[in-house]
Amino acid sequence: MLVLLKKEKKEKLIEYCTERFGISEEIFEKYQLYEGSKNKIYLIKELLELKFTPESSGLCIFRFDKTPKPTTNFLQLFSAVIYKNILDIDEKNLINYCKGYDLRMHPSSNKIEPGFIAVRYNNIIVGCAHWDKITVRNQLPKSRRCKINYC
Amino acid sequence: MNTQKQITLQTRIAERYARIVDNKDEFSRSINQSLKQSFRINSLKGDVEKVLENLRKYDNSISPADWYGNGFTTNLDNLGSSVEHFSGQIYIQELTSMMPALSIPDVNESKRIIDCCAAPGSKTTQLAEMMENKGEIIANDNKHSRLKALRGNLDRLGIINTTVTLRDFRSFPNTNADIYLVDAPCSSEGTIRKKNTIKRNLKEKDYDRFSKVQKGILNRACEMAEKGDQLIYSTCTFAPEENEHVVNSMLEEHSVKLKNINIKNLKMGKGIKNWKEEKFDSEIDKCRRVWPHHNDTGGFFIARIEKC
Repeated sequence: MLVLLKKEKKEKLIEYCTERFGISEEIFEKYQLYEGSKNKIYLIKELLELKFTPESSGLCIFRFDKTPKPTTNFLQLFSAVIYKNILDIDEKNLINYCKGYDLRMHPSSNKIEPGFIAVRYNNIIVGCAHWDKITVRNQLPKSRRCKINYC
Repeated sequence: MNTQKQITLQTRIAERYARIVDNKDEFSRSINQSLKQSFRINSLKGDVEKVLENLRKYDNSISPADWYGNGFTTNLDNLGSSVEHFSGQIYIQELTSMMPALSIPDVNESKRIIDCCAAPGSKTTQLAEMMENKGEIIANDNKHSRLKALRGNLDRLGIINTTVTLRDFRSFPNTNADIYLVDAPCSSEGTIRKKNTIKRNLKEKDYDRFSKVQKGILNRACEMAEKGDQLIYSTCTFAPEENEHVVNSMLEEHSVKLKNINIKNLKMGKGIKNWKEEKFDSEIDKCRRVWPHHNDTGGFFIARIEKC
């Protein structure tokens, strides 16, 4: 059961997106944000009123526990409007990332702050990772892990 | 042993439809050839030209279909392991499967569409892209096991205008929509050019079994539709029992009419007027049959129905 995201939580989430990834807050004006079970936040064009409960609606974009955690699907979809905390990776690291491995690399740019980061390959955001100043921890869900032969 | 089985299957299909196909030799030759992998570029996740440029680094023979600028074929057989697939910029899809969405003349953001048998989501994601992620889509399927693939594809392609439901559409509660897409479960004979996709020992009674289910689903969509609403019925089989016969039943039982289907540069055959002992309504020739030898694709059937 989805409920409209409370105003203060919505503001917190948008503020996080803006500060962390440089996503303009106007982007969210076109959508509605709902909260489902397990603190999951869904981006929905329009919540439909059906005569029975649907299995799912829209796209899960965040998990909002103590702090917001972006999903890979969210970062991929908004690839073109993400400007901050991006880690560019090469072919070898892409292959490892898609297999679900943590990356043994240090971001060369000191503009990357500790926390969740967007992983980019060849100008495409491919997913989410967590940078703690020591390791780039893979946040790719198991269901999305795969072997890449062409990149 | 496998080769022998395959020859038997192709031969059986060639013989069964020899009377209704325009060129039985070409048809027979075509269904014995394997099909190239095809895919669609998802403009919701990237610029089409840029994605195409990247894909052509793996295969520079990638080319668009004559009748759909967003449908492409490749000589590779594993584009599913490309970074473009991983990031949702492409969707591996049979060319024929792209046709139902193109047969609807006015897909736009003001519409509500119900995809009655949606999994794994090929047509749902194509429609969502055509609607630029706006409007409303209800993607329904009756098998929980198939929803995982549907949900996965919606997520990978970044679809946000879709609600997923789990129901046998024959008992789906009344729900208003502008367009009802019934891409019905079928004997899948039209996918014969793909490996291991169709049941090798199809029996005559199987056609009737599928036909019964198809009529049930399309009937429910016809019941729900209101005047002016569109219904698209499609299958990937050659069997008239699952195609013209099903549509003919709707013409007999509901206040509906058939509409013409025009997909520019796509060669299509007309619906057949009779099969075995049964004669169909003269309107049935507005249905469209896609024969494998016409456009170098699989086989397909589409009907566009309007509620009166």
